[in-house]
Amino acid sequence: MSVYFTIKSILVVLGLLGSFGFFFIRSCRLIQLMTRMLGSNTIPLDRLSERVKIFFKEVMLQSRVREKRFPGLAHTLIFFGFIAVMPHTIEIMLAGIFPGFSFASIAPGTYRLYAFLADILALLVLLGLAYCVYRRLILKPKYLTNGLDSRLILLFTAIIIVSFFSVNAFRIALNQQTLQDLTRYYVISNPIAGFLGLEHLTRQELIIGLEASYWIHLAVILYFLVYIPGSKHLHILAAIPNVILAPLETPKPMVKTDLEDDTIESFGLGKIDELNWQNVLNLYACTECGRCEEQCPADMTGKPLSPKAVVVDMKDDLIQQSSGNEDTIKPIVRDGSPITEDVIWSCTTCRACESICPLHIQHLDFILEIRKSLVMMESRFPEELQETFTNLEYQFNPWGFAPETRAQWCRGLDVALMSDHPEARILYFVGCAGSFDERGKTVARAIVNLLKKADLDFAILGPEERCTGDAARRAGNEYLAQQLIQANWETINSYRPAKILTGCPHCYNTLKNEYPQFGAMPEVLHHTDFFADLIQNKRLKPNGNLEEIITVHDSCYLCRWNDMIDAPRKILDSIVGLQIREMDRIGRKGLCCGAGGSRMFMEEKIGKRINLERVQEVVATNAETIVAACPFCNTMLNDGVKETASAIAVKDIAEILDLATDSS
Amino acid sequence: MEKVGILIEFKDDKIKKTNYGVITLARQQGCELYALVLNGNAAACKEQLQQYGIKKVIDIASKEGPLQWHPVKWARAVVAAMDHFGITTLCGLTSAQGKELLPRIAADLDAPLVMDCTDVVLNERAAKKSQFSGKTVATIKVNGNHFIFGIRPNAIEKQPDPCEAEVIPFQTTVDKEALVVKEIKLQTHTGIDLTEADIIISGGRGMQKPENFAILFECAQVIGAAVGASRAAVDAGWAPHSMQVGQTGATVSPKVYIACGISGSVQHFAGMKTAGLIVAVNTDPEANITKNCDYYIVADLFEIVPILSRQLKLVVGENHLT
Repeated sequence: MSVYFTIKSILVVLGLLGSFGFFFIRSCRLIQLMTRMLGSNTIPLDRLSERVKIFFKEVMLQSRVREKRFPGLAHTLIFFGFIAVMPHTIEIMLAGIFPGFSFASIAPGTYRLYAFLADILALLVLLGLAYCVYRRLILKPKYLTNGLDSRLILLFTAIIIVSFFSVNAFRIALNQQTLQDLTRYYVISNPIAGFLGLEHLTRQELIIGLEASYWIHLAVILYFLVYIPGSKHLHILAAIPNVILAPLETPKPMVKTDLEDDTIESFGLGKIDELNWQNVLNLYACTECGRCEEQCPADMTGKPLSPKAVVVDMKDDLIQQSSGNEDTIKPIVRDGSPITEDVIWSCTTCRACESICPLHIQHLDFILEIRKSLVMMESRFPEELQETFTNLEYQFNPWGFAPETRAQWCRGLDVALMSDHPEARILYFVGCAGSFDERGKTVARAIVNLLKKADLDFAILGPEERCTGDAARRAGNEYLAQQLIQANWETINSYRPAKILTGCPHCYNTLKNEYPQFGAMPEVLHHTDFFADLIQNKRLKPNGNLEEIITVHDSCYLCRWNDMIDAPRKILDSIVGLQIREMDRIGRKGLCCGAGGSRMFMEEKIGKRINLERVQEVVATNAETIVAACPFCNTMLNDGVKETASAIAVKDIAEILDLATDSS
Repeated sequence: MEKVGILIEFKDDKIKKTNYGVITLARQQGCELYALVLNGNAAACKEQLQQYGIKKVIDIASKEGPLQWHPVKWARAVVAAMDHFGITTLCGLTSAQGKELLPRIAADLDAPLVMDCTDVVLNERAAKKSQFSGKTVATIKVNGNHFIFGIRPNAIEKQPDPCEAEVIPFQTTVDKEALVVKEIKLQTHTGIDLTEADIIISGGRGMQKPENFAILFECAQVIGAAVGASRAAVDAGWAPHSMQVGQTGATVSPKVYIACGISGSVQHFAGMKTAGLIVAVNTDPEANITKNCDYYIVADLFEIVPILSRQLKLVVGENHLT
């Protein structure tokens, strides 16, 4: 017997050394790969206390994972249980080397509590696993990658837990010294031992059973350790730093590419080695849960884009090309690559993927930067964008209207130009749609009416205004975008208004979150927030009675890019007679209209049209009116309504408020 | 006398009318004209070319016969012909083919190139082109040994000046190692090119179904118009994308644009706002297009368009405009 235990000690030591060594080497390689990237990024360790809070909330308490109820609950059970069995695993690893070792001798009281908790939590793991098996074998949701990798991981986890119980059960049956007063704390293992009738076995048989359980438990754990770095279970390691280092705020600017630096030879993301370390950490962290794919408007309407697939394919490309050097690494979008131009251009930049990702993966950082590379380095973009680019370049609006006619929409409305009234406190940034689109013009007029009803001192830029650059920037034309941004920024700053009011979420997002990259900016407000405040401050008093059943469409650039969900509902609540009937997909989980990310200016050739998908949902509410707060959404919804031949009216929130508000 | 080559373009083996404007431009400046024909149709188009004062038609071919369309080979063949006949200036059209060919020829000759000219004074090497959507006109003077000008189609009024032409065969060798054309995909579409049409009649969602486009084609045929469609009609599958007018389709500037059953979203308007005259037929008096057109008929297009066809037939007779 003692010979066996000597051999066992040696084998355990070798096993541990081998497994941990291999794990260490593979992990080091992954870290090394991160540091070899050409892109630079600082380590975002600002606001530490908030990050610590996020660690407890999202990692330890799994709050974000549980936003998807049952899978989240299952994950939480597995997560807690797995952590709970770890000390036990370490204990028996050490006991393998030093027979008879137990933490119980160090702190018996704590150990009893631990034994009690670990036993229960381990059982809950099996419950979680059962749900996972049910989900993968019976439910089989389309967005879930259901390959060998995920099944192996479930199997390993199940074996580890089952063998945890059997090790305990045999130890109880053997009445091992250290367990004598512990038996009753093993509230699960003890009944298992009884249920299996282990007390009827001989001591010899029990020892064989214990040793067999031990080896199965240890072998699977050691193999699991080696398996992790090469599998999607890498998220066990990468998720924690990824969550802690993730952006703390929802609003974020696109990367500002330095176009002045002569030494930069490539713009955007053309090759996988141009990522920065945090992008790579994002790729490592992905656990292929598919929540992003489930939310993605492109995927659900039959486009080739799945945000999950982009991340997984990027990770595969990274690993495959990791042995290459700068000269041999091939472009990300190339013949045979699963990341095709259609994938990249299908994105509406709605951020549904990022906003749902439990691990804060920033999918758009990849997609938008790849667009930039395609456009700026290779002039590869959907041909219909050419017209938009040319118009933006020469006429400063996407449709090619003469810039000097930009203020014609407000003829007869007595709206001052900033050039005539430079001391105006509020600059109303009308935007291209408000200036040129007939539908947009009616919204712009409603906004002007409301500003006048609230007796506010405002002016517009008129011919001095240009497109904010959103369309060009999200279509990858950073150069054109920066030209527009620079010119607008200089104009705005020559007047220095106290506030900028926008009538378009795209203008709002760009002015608010991206212009500060070019210099200080006044406060920027979108009209929903602005009017909601005016109502609250009693500057606007909606007094009309609108008997209407209404449903709210959230613009992506408000609800997901800027966390603005309540404002339109507050405004509607203030109007007597309106009855809000919400759709299923609203707020952070709202469905895009299909126009974001410059998709407004591209053809939607593949799959079902996104606006139709959305409008069918609207129709199902039986609402009479759908309210949006974005000229692009208005256009897309309007087109969709016509296609479904329904009688739903598409209105901007400003139009409704204007209708319900008399002049004071 | 300056020797000027005119690159003759064809569509479906028929000489394009827009060539005559280019010929007229060079002829009126007293140049010695060489019409360069590469597709083997030199003899066939001699009659038409001599109506506009062409005396020499150069039939450029390889040993094997006429040259198949191939931008690299054609460019080299034109350069060889220019060299052989001592042609220093080449005028062509700023068309799809011209955009493909003229820059290649300019590159081969290391010659200055001005595209989209609205006028050229050949002996001063000065070309005019409009900029910033027609708000300014730039005069561009170029220096060099050879000069290449791409003329904007229809920019110069054609004027006949009949004479007698001869066809001069010119054989050139073309190397085989140039780009290999794997496949030529032809877009099927009927009728006249949207971007070159003087009159366009377009249908939108109001057309209701694909078959109804027939009444537009019928009307278009009477007046030699092209038929367009709005994005809504194209998305619904009633018309091919090649017919789409608008932000993501063709940008057109015909003399007359007739919009039938089109509400006129900004995306559509962007593609036809430079039309000389816009006429809209729509049942909705509130449609956006009412704010952006010269004439507006609140009526069912299925009533109006047939009436229009009938009336136009009476005016132009049974002879179709060409």
